[in-house]
Amino acid sequence: MSASAARTTNLLGILCACLIVVGCAASAKNEVFFGKTNPPRENVLRYVSGSEPESIDPQIPIGQNEARICLALYEGLAEYDPKSSQPIPALAESWDVNKDWSEVVFHLRRDGRFSNGDPITARDFVYTIRRGLTPSVAARYASLAYPIKYSQAFNEGGVFVFDPNSNSYLLERDFSEAAASPVALSSQAEALASEYGEKQGGPDTSFHHLMHLPMRLVLPGKEKKRDDLLDKNPKLKAAVAGKQLVPVKAEDVGVEAPDDYTLRISLVQPTPYFISMMPHQFFRAIHQKTIEKFGSAWTEAANIVTSGPFKLESWKHYDRIVVTRDPDYWDAAHVQLDKIVFYLLADTVTMLNLYKAGELDVTYNHTVPAAWLEVIGHLKDFMDGPEAGIDFYNFNTTSGPTKDVRVRKALNMSIDKKALAAWRHVAPLTAMTPDGIFPGYPQPKADPFDPEKAKRLLADAGYKDAAGNFDPKKFQASEIEIITNTDGSNVPYAEFIQAQWKQNLGTTVSIRVMENKTWSEAQSKLDYKGMSRTGWSADYMDPFTFLSIFYTPAGTNSTGWWDPKYVALLDQANRTTDKLQRYQLLSQAEQLLLDAQPVIPLVVGTTRLMKKPYVKGVYPNAATLIPWKYAYIERDPSKWDYGMPDMSEPTFTYGVKSVPGS
Amino acid sequence: MLRFIIRRIIIIVPMLFIVVSLTWALVRLAPGNFYSGEKKIAPAVEANLREKYGLNKPWYVQYSKVLKSLARLDFGTSLRYEGQSVNQILWRALPVSATLGLTAYLLALVVGITIGTLAALKPNSWLDSLSMVLAMLGISVPNFVLGPLLVLLFSLTLFWFPPALWSGFASRSIVLPAITLSAIYIAYIARLTRSGMLEVMRSDYIRTARAKGLSEWQVVTRHGLRGGLLPVISFSGPALAFLITGTVVVEKIFALPGLGNYFINACFNRDEPLILGIVAFIAISVLVFNLLVDISYAIIDPRIKY
Repeated sequence: MSASAARTTNLLGILCACLIVVGCAASAKNEVFFGKTNPPRENVLRYVSGSEPESIDPQIPIGQNEARICLALYEGLAEYDPKSSQPIPALAESWDVNKDWSEVVFHLRRDGRFSNGDPITARDFVYTIRRGLTPSVAARYASLAYPIKYSQAFNEGGVFVFDPNSNSYLLERDFSEAAASPVALSSQAEALASEYGEKQGGPDTSFHHLMHLPMRLVLPGKEKKRDDLLDKNPKLKAAVAGKQLVPVKAEDVGVEAPDDYTLRISLVQPTPYFISMMPHQFFRAIHQKTIEKFGSAWTEAANIVTSGPFKLESWKHYDRIVVTRDPDYWDAAHVQLDKIVFYLLADTVTMLNLYKAGELDVTYNHTVPAAWLEVIGHLKDFMDGPEAGIDFYNFNTTSGPTKDVRVRKALNMSIDKKALAAWRHVAPLTAMTPDGIFPGYPQPKADPFDPEKAKRLLADAGYKDAAGNFDPKKFQASEIEIITNTDGSNVPYAEFIQAQWKQNLGTTVSIRVMENKTWSEAQSKLDYKGMSRTGWSADYMDPFTFLSIFYTPAGTNSTGWWDPKYVALLDQANRTTDKLQRYQLLSQAEQLLLDAQPVIPLVVGTTRLMKKPYVKGVYPNAATLIPWKYAYIERDPSKWDYGMPDMSEPTFTYGVKSVPGS
Repeated sequence: MLRFIIRRIIIIVPMLFIVVSLTWALVRLAPGNFYSGEKKIAPAVEANLREKYGLNKPWYVQYSKVLKSLARLDFGTSLRYEGQSVNQILWRALPVSATLGLTAYLLALVVGITIGTLAALKPNSWLDSLSMVLAMLGISVPNFVLGPLLVLLFSLTLFWFPPALWSGFASRSIVLPAITLSAIYIAYIARLTRSGMLEVMRSDYIRTARAKGLSEWQVVTRHGLRGGLLPVISFSGPALAFLITGTVVVEKIFALPGLGNYFINACFNRDEPLILGIVAFIAISVLVFNLLVDISYAIIDPRIKY
């Protein structure tokens, strides 16, 4: 057998040698770009957007993969600017805001068309918003619309309380504690002229007056929940006794179409970031008749009616979605691509193979694994812009050593985030909001890297020896651990942080790697001791999207830390109409958050995607959401992108349009 | 024979019941559910979702719904993919997996049996050593290594075949996945054929056949393979069931829209109806193919009677 074993070894050796030679041949040379750079023959962009979409109904899915496809198929009142991701006019030509920012009026363009030729009017947007809030639709992004009056009440299945004797509804302000109650608005219906000044508020209606009356009291629709609430509040119970309970209906939600091309939205409280949410797929126009006719099958290729620059040609599940230019789209003349092919796959290696072989033109964000950066990072088609997404660790502030703010601060201070960021080719996160994404925002600074101070804090917290110095042996490292899921670089991150604490504090914290859903369940139930890895990406381009994580005690907030002062500051900021003053207040709130240290800010994401040099009008923007109508294929190599495209100037300034490449 | 077949078919029912019940229990015990994720949703929205999918009902109501679905062999709509029924997904994904699986299966049978037989006819020759080394490699190199290596060589260096995506049976896109998928089966079948044939070729009835004056070709194909292939058949029946019901790794590497890809994602997404539907389908296939194998024994080997 020894002879045959030797032969086996020889053969294996030869085979390996062959493969190594092949491998080197494939990766060597002084390449400028990764793989082939022959533009596709037709005007077709081949993109990969991640795994099979849950649905292409814009109000159902919550992933970015679906969002990017919905961006091609549907259009909203506003669209993302391709570079800055700020809202730019789309189906609304312009909009006006009343003087205290509690009401927005959108002026729709007259030539908006669905893919079946039907005009898109303000009524379609009324339908879109009402439908997204309907409880039986169970849209997971419904909470985005909660700033709209009575939308939350409708979505939660709440009830108004009607007093037949006085022929009026009970009001919220009569029952809520003054401090916690939302801001009182211009609660008297004023003349539209005084409310909007020079701007256009649209025709006055009785609904408009109704919306300006003080907020009605809303109680839970479910009897048990309502009784629990009433039992706690005898005054309320007495007031409700003998009154009629009226379910909140879709018609009560604060959206109205005073005419076909005017949409007026009344808000619970001033919401300066409201416009920046309008490009979100949840608010994009959908076609009422199609949805009512086909039910959940309305998104099938044979039935679907869309509102965007492209319409659905085919959907081969788990394989590809093909969209073609819609000739009925109002701006079809400026849509440059004939087709976009979205490949439905999520394996990054497969994706990069396709890209290299020239079968794919652009990939989505985070598709280049950190291990590949040495090979790809220097190439001219690697796109590495800052992203409106952050990575951080939650602390469980309700139990164990991390209940003590000094321990939390010490653990934060003893991680060298610059080293972490440099190692993973990203930027360090120095506060709760990413740096440099929101121009003019005075970002506060978190504690810098300072292991010595960390040790003093831990000594203060009682982990000290006889001489009063920090003693790692006293620190119950076994009482805390890091829980993380396996996605992306999360485990290497945890190992890096573990090493930092070992090196800087002399204590070993263990890591528990968990399957994705197991981890998210443990985190949201605060069923972890110590730290839990998490991340957040912006739902809209405003610092509030990051600060709102801690607006509520539970839900998105998985730390157990909650401070009414923080919420009050955020509310006050959102009442402020002056942008810089508002930013100042948001910044104060952020500072308060950083002082309480319920989290360890780690790094800001980078887009890290591949884009062939001939693809133009597609920018690796901070939201990695691409408005497809501006994309085109450049066949002249002298106009190709060698490196990151210039993103310093927004493509659009409000109201003035310039189409790139035409 | 008929009684045997009927008995085996009846056994499928309790087996399915056990498999589906266990799977359901496991899915329920796993933390999280189809809507939980990194982005938390508002409590009211969660309540709406639980209402919409009947998750707020007691467990026995939900379990009896599962049993009813099993009886009808219709697990309803997917939780993850809005408006798509589990059966719709099965019938859409199965042809892809089956096409790839059958191609790989036939490739494995033809190549494996040929290599195995050649090796067995000339034991300890260079041909035998070479084929057994190749078989060893095939068994020990996992397909998640072989697949990317083939892609590196044939897609990214020679540009002969696409590195991923599916364009149907009669296309270049099937070549690399079929080879990747069949490698380990070629290896097993070659080894099984070799050992089976070595034993058979030494037996008395082969000597009798030779003594009758049959040509070597006839001896091997008519008499040798009939006995020598029995181990191959008992291996390849269940193998075929697994091959055509989807292969997670290969479908993932080459981004193929097959059952395996759906299955793995259904588990990650906690898509209960889809998991149950696919598990039930795979269970039925394995049971049926095992039955077919047992029947084919009786046909091939005259000594076996039921």
